[in-house]
Amino acid sequence: MNSVFFIVLAAAAALAPGSSKSSESGSWLTGSFESNTILYHQDNKTSAIVPDSHFGSNNYLKLDYNSGKFTAGLQLEAYEPVLVGYPSELSSAALTNYYVSWNDDDFGITAGTFYEQFGSGLLFRTWEDRALGMNNALMGARITYNYKDILSAKVIYGLPRFGMDISGTQVKGADFSFSPSRLLGLNNIYLSLEGSLLNRYEWLSADYELDGCKSGTTGFSGRVNFETGGFYFKGEYVDAGEKYYYDPLYDGSGNMYLKKRGNAQLIETGYNARGLGIGLSLRRLEWMSSQNVNGNPSTLNMLNYIPAMCTQYTYMLTTLHPYSSRTGDVGVGFVNSGEMGGQLDVYYNFRRGTLLGGKRGTKVHANFSTYYTIAREGTFRPGNLLFRDFSADMEKYWNKQFKTILLYSYQEYNPTYGADNSTWKSHIAVADMLYKFSKSFSTRLELQYLHTLSDKKDWVAALLEVNFAPRWSVYVSDMYNLGLTKINYYNGGFAYTKSRTRLSLSYGRYKSGYICSGGVCRQIPAYTGLNLALTTSF
Amino acid sequence: MKIKSVLRFFVSVSAFLLSICSFAQLPSVKIDNLKGEQINTNSLLDDGKPMIISFWACTCKPCIQELDSINENLPDWLEEADFKVVAVSTDDARFSAKARSLAQGHGWEDFVQLYDKNQDFMRAMNVSVTPQVFVLDGKGNIVYSHTGYVPGSELELLDAIKGIE
Repeated sequence: MNSVFFIVLAAAAALAPGSSKSSESGSWLTGSFESNTILYHQDNKTSAIVPDSHFGSNNYLKLDYNSGKFTAGLQLEAYEPVLVGYPSELSSAALTNYYVSWNDDDFGITAGTFYEQFGSGLLFRTWEDRALGMNNALMGARITYNYKDILSAKVIYGLPRFGMDISGTQVKGADFSFSPSRLLGLNNIYLSLEGSLLNRYEWLSADYELDGCKSGTTGFSGRVNFETGGFYFKGEYVDAGEKYYYDPLYDGSGNMYLKKRGNAQLIETGYNARGLGIGLSLRRLEWMSSQNVNGNPSTLNMLNYIPAMCTQYTYMLTTLHPYSSRTGDVGVGFVNSGEMGGQLDVYYNFRRGTLLGGKRGTKVHANFSTYYTIAREGTFRPGNLLFRDFSADMEKYWNKQFKTILLYSYQEYNPTYGADNSTWKSHIAVADMLYKFSKSFSTRLELQYLHTLSDKKDWVAALLEVNFAPRWSVYVSDMYNLGLTKINYYNGGFAYTKSRTRLSLSYGRYKSGYICSGGVCRQIPAYTGLNLALTTSF
Repeated sequence: MKIKSVLRFFVSVSAFLLSICSFAQLPSVKIDNLKGEQINTNSLLDDGKPMIISFWACTCKPCIQELDSINENLPDWLEEADFKVVAVSTDDARFSAKARSLAQGHGWEDFVQLYDKNQDFMRAMNVSVTPQVFVLDGKGNIVYSHTGYVPGSELELLDAIKGIE
């Protein structure tokens, strides 16, 4: 592994002197490095997972060279070995991504690996999310063209990355956008009409062919975006092409695979004015899982983006039962074609000097999210409740030193993913208090409580953070189950930051559960260990 | 053995990083503005003003805290230097509508708001964690940056801007 890195580092270092003169010549080198290393150890109390190596390390080095309209870059990844809970496809070291690109104001061409998204990503998205281990960048080519700000078009072709390799699935696509309001020179309204086409081709085995399944399938999406005076409306319809699911009831006669057609509808609308933001999203999904490799159960196996559209919390106890979207389930005795639901967000800033605003203003926010299974395939009838959350939070500076955030959340979570209508109901309260002793010295205390009659019953948690700006931050936290397990999930550590480099060291006990990022979750086992993380860029 | 190879890797990367200088500039990337129109990041240089570019996300509490602090200090800072603040939401498509509402609800009307829904700008600037803040001069040269936020670290931004003039 090291020899690959050394060669690249040497090459990059050779380019670096050029970058130091770059201000005049318009060429420069940038890059970033991220490393996350954990030393695991035995913890009988939580049945923590300890890999054979007792050690895991995920590392990413990214370099980009810019020269006028030309850009080239690469990414090296090393999993030595991969951290516990990450997809097992990630292993050892490799040059995983590389590209060259030329762009001017109208034309652009990229060859190599690239990230792309059509519309909201329901039809197609390639992206990277290191918290999930996700990187499905397309290896191929992309051509983009735009005529002023009236018309734009993209054409793509490539094979998506899967783990450390490139999969054999071919993806061809095109995306168009046209703005009549720009054509007419209207300034106070913005309207654009957009559309995409996507063809996915994967050679399928004889089993599939016998059932009439095809190797190639084409999907499309149509979209409208409208904005005027703070009001906005976005609508999207997606036909995601044919999907094939193994039928668990297959008994040797009839078809082994069920044929479904993916479709989705999305509406996002809202109104934003000074100090006020209101947003409503409504979405319905049916058979929308678009896979890179058909039937592979890996969490990396995605070619589109179906996030959970609800609040993603950061406080410990609010994330115990996170929601993941249902894109269609086929089980024995249970078939659910997808989900439907929506969320409403309201943000309001009570200005300074008003009764509720006080001297320094008060920020309030409320969210309501609710999602159901689809009662009957092909309809808009809601079935069992999958997830519901109502939350409200208030942020207020009481004086120059003291700030509080108070949060309440009522969550209902269906542990059977909609197979029946039983739910776990929990009430969560959080008080987050910040006190600034001086311009550079502050402390923050979080107190949290979760009350529920289900699962492991009540939880309590606390976190204390001490900050010495701009370099040091130290914290200790504990999460304790008052109900069934009576286990402490303690954690403590510090972070040191200088310019664009951040180094953190922490030790703690982590419970099994989910890590969510961008509305997509992956399951993690319990582990206990020492975590060293470094990020830097230049 | 593994630990040794990772340590060797750490040392080599660190040595390399020390050997290069940071003269990076504003890259040219297409990105959505508040209305949902696509603009080129080059157009941020049209008025020739220095700028603070802050990468944030709805799920990143320190980012929101930092932008709130900048917003609170902005009237005073503008008396000392002429510059603009660009807040780049790195939220995916699922949160770009929420990010717009949050920005309004936090009173960030004076910021230039950009929405980087597939993180193209974020990647081009080599941001791997948020919050990350840059200070650029009027020609687009990066003169200062920092990652992470603790209350008080925003004060370095004004010093960096004043250093340009």
